[in-house]
Amino acid sequence: MPPPGRRRAPDPADGGAAETEASLLARAQAGDVGAFELLSGAYADRLFMLLLRLLGDRAEAEDVAQEVMLRAWRGITRFRGQSSYFTWLYRIAVNEANRTLERRARHPAGVSIGARELDLPTSPAEDPSRQAENRELRRALGEALAGLPPALRTAIVLRDVEGLSTQEAAEIAGIGQAAFKSRLHQARLRVRAVIGDEALVASGG
Amino acid sequence: MGMPGRAGDHRWSQRHLSHYIEGELRPRARRRLERHARGCVDCGRGIRAMRALVYAVQGEGGPTGVRAPATIFDRVRLAGGGSPESQHA
Repeated sequence: MPPPGRRRAPDPADGGAAETEASLLARAQAGDVGAFELLSGAYADRLFMLLLRLLGDRAEAEDVAQEVMLRAWRGITRFRGQSSYFTWLYRIAVNEANRTLERRARHPAGVSIGARELDLPTSPAEDPSRQAENRELRRALGEALAGLPPALRTAIVLRDVEGLSTQEAAEIAGIGQAAFKSRLHQARLRVRAVIGDEALVASGG
Repeated sequence: MGMPGRAGDHRWSQRHLSHYIEGELRPRARRRLERHARGCVDCGRGIRAMRALVYAVQGEGGPTGVRAPATIFDRVRLAGGGSPESQHA
């Protein structure tokens, strides 16, 4: 895993001489809110998308995103660089999302990671019938993921949707790699059972 | 209908399809699954389905154009501009 200083936070205001993540981190840890915003803002879009995928509700994701940033700010002096800053921030986000999901566990709501909920564009290169098939598969996928317990949903979102390595995803989930893989495999088996082999094979993936 | 291979191969294979496509099975286990799947329509289709599933889920990732809300740092700003330690509850 790269040390925090390897990744450069974008800073369009400084004329191209972007500060390294390490120097932004040092300033943020010294109490510079602006540096914290630059440091964390580099991951804000991706983090918000993760929360949308885990929570399936934009208003809730916005609320939790604010809470994640507040917790990160409050805890930043305790960050020692044992993981990348991105991993640390994502871990806070996953914990907050899981807390939110636990709170609403008695009132289950639909969660979707597909185009319908997030209004994501489909590829214009696809022919209409193919687009319809893909929409249907994405709808089914969204519903299947919504039905997963939070721990399994987190595993499949981090590893398969976000494309993180098993090591990084396990670190963010706060469990060992073996336990993480077990959750991932369970999640895939459950989603496969819900969608069905015929629909999946027909999707031609 | 009889299943190819040893008793229990079918259920074992079905449980390990995700491990198989991840390349996590040891050579002997991989050969066990492949030997069974060659003669088992369900498991052969299961392998294709599991690959298609991972492909479809991966397709949900990547650039989405979704932007974080402009309010994302509002609570940090409301918490004040002092040192982070001073904000600890």
